[in-house]
Amino acid sequence: MRTLRRALRLPSARLSAVVLVVVAVAAVFGHWLAPLDPLAQDSAHVLSGPSAGHLLGTDGLGRDVLSRLVAGTSSSIVATLEAVGTALLVGIVLGIGSLWLGRGYEWASLRFVDSLQTLPYVVFVVAVVGVLGNGLTQAMLAIGLLYSPIFFRVSRAASLALLRAQYVEAAELFGATRLWILRTHLWSKILPTIAVTAAQASAECLLAVQSLSFLGIGVQPPAPTWGGMLADDLGFLAQQPWAPLIPAITIMITVGALNAIADAISDSADLLVVDASPPQPGSAQEVSDAAVAVR
Amino acid sequence: MNTALSEPSRRSFLGLGLATGSSLLLAACGAGGAAGSGGASADTLKWGWALPTSWDPVTSSAGWDVHALSLVYAGLTKHDSQGTAVPALAESWAYSEKGSRVTFKLRSGLKFSDGTTLDATAVKKSIERGRDAPKSLIAAQLADVKTVSAPDPTTVVIDLRSPNYQIPSLFAGKTGMVVNPAAFESNAAGLATKPAGAGPYTLTSYVENSQATLKRNPNYWDAASIKVANFQLFPLPDAATVIAGLQSGRYNVAQIPGSQVAAAKAAGLEVQVIPSLVVAVLDVNITKPPFDDPNAALALKFAVDRAALLKTQQFGIGEVSYQPFPKGYVGYDPALEGIYAYDPAKARQLLAKSKYGIGAPVTITASATGNLPQQLQAQLQAVGFKPTIETIPQAEATQTFYIQHSKALAVDGFAGRDSTAQTFQVLFGAEGLMNPGRTTPPELNAAVQKIVQTPLDDPKYPQVVQAATAAAVRTMPNVFLFTTPRILAHTTSVSPLPKDTVVQRFEGVTLT
Repeated sequence: MRTLRRALRLPSARLSAVVLVVVAVAAVFGHWLAPLDPLAQDSAHVLSGPSAGHLLGTDGLGRDVLSRLVAGTSSSIVATLEAVGTALLVGIVLGIGSLWLGRGYEWASLRFVDSLQTLPYVVFVVAVVGVLGNGLTQAMLAIGLLYSPIFFRVSRAASLALLRAQYVEAAELFGATRLWILRTHLWSKILPTIAVTAAQASAECLLAVQSLSFLGIGVQPPAPTWGGMLADDLGFLAQQPWAPLIPAITIMITVGALNAIADAISDSADLLVVDASPPQPGSAQEVSDAAVAVR
Repeated sequence: MNTALSEPSRRSFLGLGLATGSSLLLAACGAGGAAGSGGASADTLKWGWALPTSWDPVTSSAGWDVHALSLVYAGLTKHDSQGTAVPALAESWAYSEKGSRVTFKLRSGLKFSDGTTLDATAVKKSIERGRDAPKSLIAAQLADVKTVSAPDPTTVVIDLRSPNYQIPSLFAGKTGMVVNPAAFESNAAGLATKPAGAGPYTLTSYVENSQATLKRNPNYWDAASIKVANFQLFPLPDAATVIAGLQSGRYNVAQIPGSQVAAAKAAGLEVQVIPSLVVAVLDVNITKPPFDDPNAALALKFAVDRAALLKTQQFGIGEVSYQPFPKGYVGYDPALEGIYAYDPAKARQLLAKSKYGIGAPVTITASATGNLPQQLQAQLQAVGFKPTIETIPQAEATQTFYIQHSKALAVDGFAGRDSTAQTFQVLFGAEGLMNPGRTTPPELNAAVQKIVQTPLDDPKYPQVVQAATAAAVRTMPNVFLFTTPRILAHTTSVSPLPKDTVVQRFEGVTLT
């Protein structure tokens, strides 16, 4: 929280936070905030321009674009959270496990992560939905799996340094369980690094999710998504050349806000303890607080 | 992507976002402008259409391929603008009295594009390969062919297992394209990328999924009518960029969707709407709920507002359809007009009578994203169905729709077939690709058999075909939606294109 408070002193972070709060509100309350039913078709008002009744006009089926944009926030954000959540879970569990579960597991997990990084994401996701069926959860599991190497490497690198610290070795000698060490010494130290990485990954996943929606993978129609709206609008460039700008700018601003907040947090925090130098006089906690932050 | 995964760069993503926005803005601003000559060289026609799945007509797997293959292959017959078989490599043909033997008389002096002689023996070998080759995808159409003989260099005699007067029509399409035996006897697999025919053009270079370059074949039997010296064929242009492609000279003829017609005209392009055999259709599986109840299947036919679909999906270009044939085609039965006219009250009533009742769940399966499934969903919902949409990758569509027949309701399109009987077999036959229920009423089978056994020039032929159409529309669950004309936009440097219903041809087309 201290890091977050420091980050929010930066103007860019405050602006980004406002954007993300707006997005979060739209994600949670979007269906209530949408001025009209985002699924209601009106064949009499297909591809109409902005008006009092439809502030951002209507799409190829006469649906209110503003309502779809607001209502589509939920699926876009939920999809992103699913993907990042999967990546976090898989990456951190494998990453920390690779340090504690023996050399055989370490070798296997490193090769597994290397293999994941060689996969082209669209091809992999298409293959996954081909096997498991086209749906949001399946697509996001695939995306999350492909993004897990980021968290694997970050959590492993951070933990590797900490586990060599003498206060951790001392705790092990005193009979502390690994779970206790993880909870007490490890987690609080690597959390800021994980948080920054998660913010960065959220931006990337949001783009990936929209790219897949653009291709018809993931969220199924008629549920609105920003990427799906972009794909639909490109078919009517002749009628509404400005229409794709609406979802495109929304995606751009949200991705930009996530990246800016990640920048601000990393600028404000002491991250990634890699210095496993001998403990200074005093408690183990003092040692970790004094550790050098690098990015 | 993998670089991004391993080394995320926040600023690069900001840059990407800005670049995306800027490029969209530029695209938006660039929609105007007038079409000039398209920047094409005066002797090259550049067609944005589709590249074939294979340049071998025997292994080509898409009906759509016939247009591209017709550039490099010729058949014994060809279709005229209305879809009637007329002479091509064969100058005439005659059936035996019982209809179980047909004799084609070839033109004299025919040559393949490589200069080798095209005679009756070559035709015989080509037909036999289509019938017997292990990987032939036209074998089913040639199942009636018992023997082929070549008593002299210009006479081909085909003996049939049973009377079949559809052979001349069948031979106007892929089934009848004559392949040079010298090519398939030495390297049949090579035909997939190196066609060996006797068509109006010869393929000179081919880059898969990119483009095909062709030059005029001086040995073509009707070479005098081919005015354009060079031809380039490209994959189907994206709807968002096709007009710009025409304006820039990337293409000088291209297929465009209905949504782009106004923009094409505004850009100074010529737009031709050519009636075709393509029709939008719903494949209905009567072995799957809820359509295993006839009332639910019938409710579906009345639930669809075809006029609204046509207006939204094609900007009104085409016609509402209740049958597989467009107006003017021999199989079109005017009596079927409006037979399942939009009647939501009746649809709701029928659905309520079905064992599934109001709220019957149904999954609409489609292989492409787009508005049609969503509009259908809203229409079905309005009459009491509980529809959801399932989008499957295009690559899976053939397997899912035509081989597994595993979906209750699929959004599909039928591209027509060379012979009328073949159309019925594909759409309604027990083994038909687009008959997922795999059953055909006996009366429809009898009606199709009558088509096969009726000479094409018999005055009763139209009546026989239309009777089969009526039987199919009344007894089969397929829901025909609207016709899909071929909309071709071209620069002013291209003369008007022939209005061919079945296969787009380029005889007589000139460039200035």
